Amino acid sequence: MTFRRVLIANRGEIAVRIARACREAGIESVAIYSDADRDAPHVRAADRAIRVGPAPSSQSYLSVPAILEAARATSCDAVHPGYGFLSENAAFASACDDAGLTFIGPPAAVISRMGSKVGARQLMSGAGVPVVPGDTPHDQSDSGVLQSAERAGFPVLVKASAGGGGKGMRAIRDRGQALEAIAAARREAVSAFNDGTLYVERLIERPRHIEVQIFADAHGNVVHLFERECSIQRRHQKIIEESPSPALTAGVRSAMTEAAVAAARAAGYVNAGTIEFLLDESGDGSRFYFLEMNTRLQVEHPVTEAVTGVDLVQAQFVVAAGGRLPWTQASLTQRGHAIECRVYAEDPAAGFLPQAGALLVYREPAGPGIRIDSGVVEGGAVPVHYDPLLAKLTASAESRDAAIARARAALEMFPILGIRTNVPFLIRVLDESDFRAGRLHTGFIDEHAPDLLARSTAPLEALAAAAVAPGETPRTSASVRPTTIDPWTSVRGWGR
Amino acid sequence: MERRIVIHDGEMPHRITVDDNRTVIVDGTSVPVIGGPDSEVRIGENGTVRAWVAASGDTRWVYLGGRVYELEVERAGRRRRSASGPSSLSAPMPATVIRVEVSPGEQVQRGDTLVILEAMKMELPIRAAADGTVASVSCKPGDLVQPGMALIEIE
Repeated sequence: MTFRRVLIANRGEIAVRIARACREAGIESVAIYSDADRDAPHVRAADRAIRVGPAPSSQSYLSVPAILEAARATSCDAVHPGYGFLSENAAFASACDDAGLTFIGPPAAVISRMGSKVGARQLMSGAGVPVVPGDTPHDQSDSGVLQSAERAGFPVLVKASAGGGGKGMRAIRDRGQALEAIAAARREAVSAFNDGTLYVERLIERPRHIEVQIFADAHGNVVHLFERECSIQRRHQKIIEESPSPALTAGVRSAMTEAAVAAARAAGYVNAGTIEFLLDESGDGSRFYFLEMNTRLQVEHPVTEAVTGVDLVQAQFVVAAGGRLPWTQASLTQRGHAIECRVYAEDPAAGFLPQAGALLVYREPAGPGIRIDSGVVEGGAVPVHYDPLLAKLTASAESRDAAIARARAALEMFPILGIRTNVPFLIRVLDESDFRAGRLHTGFIDEHAPDLLARSTAPLEALAAAAVAPGETPRTSASVRPTTIDPWTSVRGWGR
Repeated sequence: MERRIVIHDGEMPHRITVDDNRTVIVDGTSVPVIGGPDSEVRIGENGTVRAWVAASGDTRWVYLGGRVYELEVERAGRRRRSASGPSSLSAPMPATVIRVEVSPGEQVQRGDTLVILEAMKMELPIRAAADGTVASVSCKPGDLVQPGMALIEIE
C-alpha cells in the first residue's frame, strides 16, 4: 500500500524536496504556508497548498492544531514533517496517530525516548554503545548545573536536554563565564523547545563530528547507509558535510556502523534516523562516542543519497506505509565522494548573523554531479521568521578532490546578491589546505577564522561591473536600502 | 554621453568614468565591460571575466570570482555615512527584545551585556563597545525592534 495524499508540514527546500518525491511516487502533495510564505517556492512545488497561520512559526509551522486541521481539510492520509519544526515532537507524532494520519517518521514513543539526551545516553550505554563521559545534574538550578560542570571538569558543554541544532548549547571553559552561559542556554532551551532541562558533559577538544545514516522497517530489518562527516560547523551547526569521511579507516567505519545499527535496534527504531558520534583522534587510535540520535530525515541526507544511489524520502514512504526496506545491507555500497555546502543568508563577518531581505540576484549553477535543493527564487524575499537556509549544493564525483573541485566551481557560478550569504565563505573553506588534506575538526572554522574572514579589496573588474549595474538611476531617498546588516555601522562585539 | 561617478569600497573612493560604448575607466585604467540586461556582466578584452551585479539604493552588489563586493555610489550633496559612534547602540536586524540589563545612569564597561535580543531563534547579546554611562534606554522586553532603531544611548 502507499499513501494517496501527503501533507508536508514544513517549508523551504525540504518541503520542495518532499513534494518532488511525492510526485515521483504518484502521491498527491499538500503544502502548508504562513502569511510570510504565500508566494514561496514550496507552495508552488506541491499539488495544492493551504494556509496555516500568521508569519511567526509558533502560530503556523509549529501549530499542531492548525496543521492537523489543514490535513483534515485536505483529506490527507499521512504527514511528512521534514526536519526542524515538529519533526522531533513526539506530541505531534501521537496527535497525528490519534487523528488517523500516518506520521512519516518513527513512532511517537521512540521520538520521546531519544529526544531526552539523558535517556538516550542511558539507553545507548546499556546497549554497549560508547558515550561521552558526562554528568547529569539532578539539581537543575544555576548552581546545581554549575556544580555538575565542576564535577565533569572544565571545559564542559552545557546542552538543552530536549535540544538539537546547537540551540541551547554553550561551551564553558572556566567558572567565570559559567553562570551567564548556563542562564543563556536555559533561556534558549525554553524558547526553542519549551523545556529548560540542561545536561553537562565533558568537552572533547578538536573532535570530528561523524554520523551514521540508519534505516529500519517495522519488520525488524535495520540497515546503515554509511557515514557522513559533518565537522565543518559554525555556532554548532553544520555547513559542509561529506561522505565518505576522510578520517575513517575500514576498521573504525565497520565498528561505528555496527554500533549505529545496535543503537537503532536498542531504540526500537523505525524509518530514517541518524546516529551522531564524536570521533576523538587524540591519543592512541581514534575512539568514537555516541552523541545523539536524530529521529528524522537530516538536512544533509543528499550526501548519503549521492554516494549510495538510493532515495531516502521514497524509502520513508514505503516504510511508513508498513512496507519492507527496499534494500538489504549487502545491497548497499558507498561509491565515489559527495560534499554538501549549505548556503545560508548570514553574515560570516558578523558572527554568522542571520540576514533577511530581497534576493535581487539568485542564479543556481547546474552541471554533471551538481544537485541543488533550494527553497527560494530570484526576486523573492528571505523572511526574518525562519531558519535562513537558502539552498544546499551537493557535488558528487569519483574522488574527494574531484568533488571539492566540482563544488568550488559550482559555488563560483552561484551569484546571490541583495543580502549577505555565506557563499564566499564556503569557497574559502574549500580552499583551505587543511580542508583539502581532510584535517577537519569541529573547531575548524574558529581556528581558521582569520583566513576565512579576511576582507578582500574590490579589484578593478568589480568596480567596473558596479558602474554598469542595471537600475543605475538616481533615487530620491536612501530609505530603500534593504534590511541587511552593515558591519560598518552596526554594533561591534556580537556574542556567540 | 559620458558619466562620471565615485564608488567607495569601504573607505576607499574610486573615480570611474563610463562612456557610451561602456568602456569603463577606473582610476585611470581602461576596463572593457559588456553589460547584459539580466545582471550578468562580461569584463576584459575577450569578456572572459564574468560578474553579476545588482543595485539597491546607493549600494552596488557585485559577485566576481567567488567573492561578493558591496560598494557604495557617492551621491552629490549627500554626506557619506560614517562609522557610527560608540554612543548609540542599535538593533542590527528585526528582533524581539528579551531582556534589558541596564538602566539610565548606570556605569557600564566595554563588553558588558546591555540588551539581549532574539531573532531567528537565536539570542543576540548587545554589548557595550566602550566604557560609559547609560544616558537612556529606549526599549523594553517584548518590543519588536527594527534595524537601525536605537536601543540604548551611552555617554
